[in-house]
Amino acid sequence: MSTAIEFVNIKKSYGNKTVVEDFSLAVEKGEFVTIIGSSGSGKTTVLKMVNGLILPDAGKVLVEGRDILSGDLIALRRNIGYAIQGSVLFPHMTVEKNIAYVPDLLNKNNKKKTEDAVLKWMNIVGLDEDMLSRYPDELSGGQQQRVGIARSLAASPDILLMDEPFGAVDEITRAQLQDEISAIHQKTGITILFVTHDISEALKLGTRVLVMDNGLIQQYASPRDILAEPATDFVRRLAAKERRTCSLPEERLRDCEYSSAFSLPHGS
Amino acid sequence: MLSNMLRLLAEKKGFFLGLLWEHLSISVISILIALIIGLLAGVLISEYQKSSRLVLGFINFVYTIPSISLLGFLIPFSGIGDATAVIALTIYALLPMVRNTHTGITNIDENILEAARGLGSTRLQMLFKIKLPLAMPVIMSGLRSMATMTIALAGIASFIGAGGLGVAIYRGITTNNAAMTMAGSLLIAALAIAVDLLLGTIETIVHHRSKANRKRTAVTAAAALLLCAAVAVSSIFSGSGDQTLRIATKPMTEQYILGEMLRELVEQDTDLKVELTQGVGGGTSNIQTGMEKGEFDLYPEYTGTGWNMVLKKDSLYSEDLFDEMKKEYEDTLHLTWDGMYGFNNTFGLAVRRDAAQQYDLKTYSDLARVSDQLTFGAEYDFYQREDGYDGLCETYGFRFKKTSDMDIGLKYQAIQQGKIDVMTIFTTDGQLAASDIVVLKDDKQFYPSYLCGNVVRMAVLEQHPGLKDVLGSLNGILSDETMAELNYAVETEGQEPKTVAHDFLKDAGLVK
Repeated sequence: MSTAIEFVNIKKSYGNKTVVEDFSLAVEKGEFVTIIGSSGSGKTTVLKMVNGLILPDAGKVLVEGRDILSGDLIALRRNIGYAIQGSVLFPHMTVEKNIAYVPDLLNKNNKKKTEDAVLKWMNIVGLDEDMLSRYPDELSGGQQQRVGIARSLAASPDILLMDEPFGAVDEITRAQLQDEISAIHQKTGITILFVTHDISEALKLGTRVLVMDNGLIQQYASPRDILAEPATDFVRRLAAKERRTCSLPEERLRDCEYSSAFSLPHGS
Repeated sequence: MLSNMLRLLAEKKGFFLGLLWEHLSISVISILIALIIGLLAGVLISEYQKSSRLVLGFINFVYTIPSISLLGFLIPFSGIGDATAVIALTIYALLPMVRNTHTGITNIDENILEAARGLGSTRLQMLFKIKLPLAMPVIMSGLRSMATMTIALAGIASFIGAGGLGVAIYRGITTNNAAMTMAGSLLIAALAIAVDLLLGTIETIVHHRSKANRKRTAVTAAAALLLCAAVAVSSIFSGSGDQTLRIATKPMTEQYILGEMLRELVEQDTDLKVELTQGVGGGTSNIQTGMEKGEFDLYPEYTGTGWNMVLKKDSLYSEDLFDEMKKEYEDTLHLTWDGMYGFNNTFGLAVRRDAAQQYDLKTYSDLARVSDQLTFGAEYDFYQREDGYDGLCETYGFRFKKTSDMDIGLKYQAIQQGKIDVMTIFTTDGQLAASDIVVLKDDKQFYPSYLCGNVVRMAVLEQHPGLKDVLGSLNGILSDETMAELNYAVETEGQEPKTVAHDFLKDAGLVK
């Protein structure tokens, strides 16, 4: 596996407040990385550095092995899906126009191709075709999220950045959306960076989980390692509740969904 | 009153339609320019936020300048007429456009902008695909209030000699014709409402979301734009050629009448076409500027005013200085005086006829003998002026029993009712003709002489020798009393200046 995204000695501060310092991380292609941490831990900052919405004060970000500042930032962004909290659709555009936004920027002349992409992605995220000409304020919260996801994926990017995309929907819809994004990940092999503040979501979706606190990486590991071998007290506390959700005593945790594959004896 | 107005509108349909068209042209041009500049400026200061406070502050400041003074400031640069009006209106119209564009753009949800940026929009794509469409409702409401305001404000454009419905309002005010004033005002209001409705319709259609309507939007917008362009173009090309004599008049009833006389005579006796700008606001100071710039060719002026205001002499003017004045006009201004009407519109003192008979009053000196038994009335500022009450009393030794402040419109009533016995007048006041009062003689020449005659550009006289004969035929045709009667016919009897002028010229045998 090759590296899709690499952060090299990143530093970022706003005024006197340092958000991240000496941050280095390599994300393999095809990973579904969930990023979790307390608010102000720098997780959104890290996410937005991938498509250059936030530029580091020091260090560099490599996408597909190339420094993002060495090339055309606009072209880079069009090749990176971006979905943010509350989906933030363009209120003056129909569902169709919203989803077609990036394809329209990319290939203005191939209308057919854009149309096909719109229909394909609506189908994948589970939206009815008769919603094409609706406006965002005529959609339910869950439908808006689906349009948001379809919009971020419409140009078939290699990387998808998601910043708490399911923060504003009810439990049931969220579970459905989580299943759908998982399925999309498996089907397309796209590399996903997914910021969340919900540890169960992070553990459920991620193939790798990045735990951050105060701008520092606490642990970057698979969900099962996060649960079984928390690297720091912060991770332990964060994961404690999840360890209990199986409602099993400590010695039988290996029967839990996240811990069933444990091959190692559990840590302390 | 309402029926008067309706009758007036029906009778002078062509006149009002012409004014309506001019009004629309001036407004639409200003609105279009302000729309373009305002949008650009609004977008620029939104993109470069640092400049926004400075720019908005400056525009806010300009907005606080009273419109009349702004027009005054502009006259030295852009002269009298439509251009100045368009500039002034545009300046006022800028504020709502710039402010609303800026507000509309800067109030867009930051998350939406970030989503657009994150998806790879360029700066221009952000602007055209996201910012402008989302700011459109705010911009449209700015445009609507700006358009209504501009149309209303264009009503004052006539004060500086521009066309439009303000001409009717202003003429109504200066010739005591309330129906005319009301007709002009009502048409302005109607025009403003119509334009607002049109813009409102466009706004709803733009906002309507179904696909079928999108096409109609484009068609309506294109039609509206085309209409505006047509108005703008046609008004630009309707300029005047070489064979046109441009006559200006001051905002006074008698000048409106003189203007109509000049038009009729010149068009009858020469090949010239007359472009008459009636009632230029500010009178001499603005018309004189226009004469020197060649925007006007001829206007009726008063000798005393020419001496004191135009040549800026401090001394008291009397008619033995006429040749000296004329020579200086010709040498320094290349203007000359030609066609002296004969009447003298100066200040005067008048007494009620019974009092005049009782005390045998003919001159100011006669009045001085009995002044301690009489009450004196004048408008408020007469007591403040240097050449007003104190100067008059000093020269003639008046010691009136009592003095009284009166509004100029109420003086004639007050003297008839015996509330005052003596009052100040202008010697051609229309109401003199119908009042039972006697104008006394200024035997010590306290007041300067204000004989009325035409000031004309010498170049125009040389170019059109026929004009000299026309102006010559006007010499001495009007006495103080005749002028007062004609003024009375317009101000009190409600006749049209044009009719009064024509009837008079016919009686005088100057027209068939």
